[in-house]
Amino acid sequence: MECVVQGIIEAQHVEALDVLLQGLCEGQREAVKTHEICLKSKPISSFADSRALESLETGTVASELHLLCDLSKRPHIWTVKHIGGAMRGTGAEQLPALVRNIVESKMSNNALRFFYAVGYKMDYELLRDGFAYRFQRAFPITVTVTSVCRLPKQHSIDEATPVTPNIQLVEVTAPATADNFSDVVPAISSFAEHLSPLVNLSKPGSFAGIVSTASTAAASLLSRSDRLEHRV
Amino acid sequence: MGSQSVCLDSRVLHWQPSAGAQVTSQTLVDLFRSIESMNGVRTGRWQITAAQHRPFTRDQAMAIDCAKELLGVAFSEFASKHYFVLRAERMVVEADSSIQAIMEKLQVYRNRLSMVFEGFQYQLGDFQLKAGRAVLSQAENLRGIVLEVEYSPVSSIEKTRQMMQEFVDLWQEAISAQSMSGRISLLEPNFAEYALSDTYTWQHTALQYIFLFAYFLSQSQRA
Repeated sequence: MECVVQGIIEAQHVEALDVLLQGLCEGQREAVKTHEICLKSKPISSFADSRALESLETGTVASELHLLCDLSKRPHIWTVKHIGGAMRGTGAEQLPALVRNIVESKMSNNALRFFYAVGYKMDYELLRDGFAYRFQRAFPITVTVTSVCRLPKQHSIDEATPVTPNIQLVEVTAPATADNFSDVVPAISSFAEHLSPLVNLSKPGSFAGIVSTASTAAASLLSRSDRLEHRV
Repeated sequence: MGSQSVCLDSRVLHWQPSAGAQVTSQTLVDLFRSIESMNGVRTGRWQITAAQHRPFTRDQAMAIDCAKELLGVAFSEFASKHYFVLRAERMVVEADSSIQAIMEKLQVYRNRLSMVFEGFQYQLGDFQLKAGRAVLSQAENLRGIVLEVEYSPVSSIEKTRQMMQEFVDLWQEAISAQSMSGRISLLEPNFAEYALSDTYTWQHTALQYIFLFAYFLSQSQRA
């Protein structure tokens, strides 16, 4: 399981967010460059339709299968991520973060060929380019700030162009279990408060917009950072 | 994808009884004795599970565009990883053991049958020997006897080929001295066909066990 909140930030304020995150976690910054391939089962027969129908009948939420290739490391690391449906019910709706089932597995570099062979095909692909910070508090929290890029041709990583050049995606996630998610959600929510001068974080799917006063907060953060650098 | 556990260059062999002879539990006991007669020191137990999966369809008339057979291997000594082999596609895949949970959630394949290889392992200088039985997980009757020779210092298959063969010949001599009716036999897959390099990895071992699994299944179907 994982708990997650998301938001967007104008690209011009990303530097200030970087400064803010660095101040919060004492510089555990990592580059993020991930090729993400979303897979779906091949609809050659009525198999996919029957699965969709079954999903409607049972009320389960359709899951997603993503294949991630971490391009920031050599050799590249492949991971398959099964994203299950979000937790449902009145209690879950009132939570400030989305809680969903996640299962991940690192794989050898023939992972894409493997999934093609076992009945999957590429739905879409994208490149996430940016940075991440990992915080070790009561629960490990990861913040990723990325520009989401489309690939004009299949697997053309080098030709990736941002989908929204002026906007970047901010995602805050923390691993959880069925036993501790009720503690992890408040932790992630309270952490999100630290970032609120620059980014509104909410559950994926419930868009909270950009922070109207982000320019002032960003200017203040950057000038404070400059003053600190001069003092050092 | 790098493996955390040390992988030794290995040859997976099996016991081929002479024409008309049967493989029994006593055969395995005699093979343990043959290793001990070469001063092999028993160091512990081992277990490997191989499984065959078929596409999951409630209605057999529904054709799914996917491989008709998916084979999996799990090693007790390297439990953090799981291996898949697609024979028709000539592919070996290494993944974290959590891949099994993902494959279960996808519900594309269902487990048809599993075979457990288990026995004792021995240390003999730089060589590590394994001998054990192969049984279907649903039934206890013996499907075959597996023998494995691992050699630690070198990891290139070509460099160790002759040394391994010489060792197997030596072991065969020790077995013949016990008047056992049969011989050690090797089913070596063509690793290059599966895009596996000359540098030995767990994927090589997984592929060898899959070949042996398929061989034992074909033998029992013939019987």
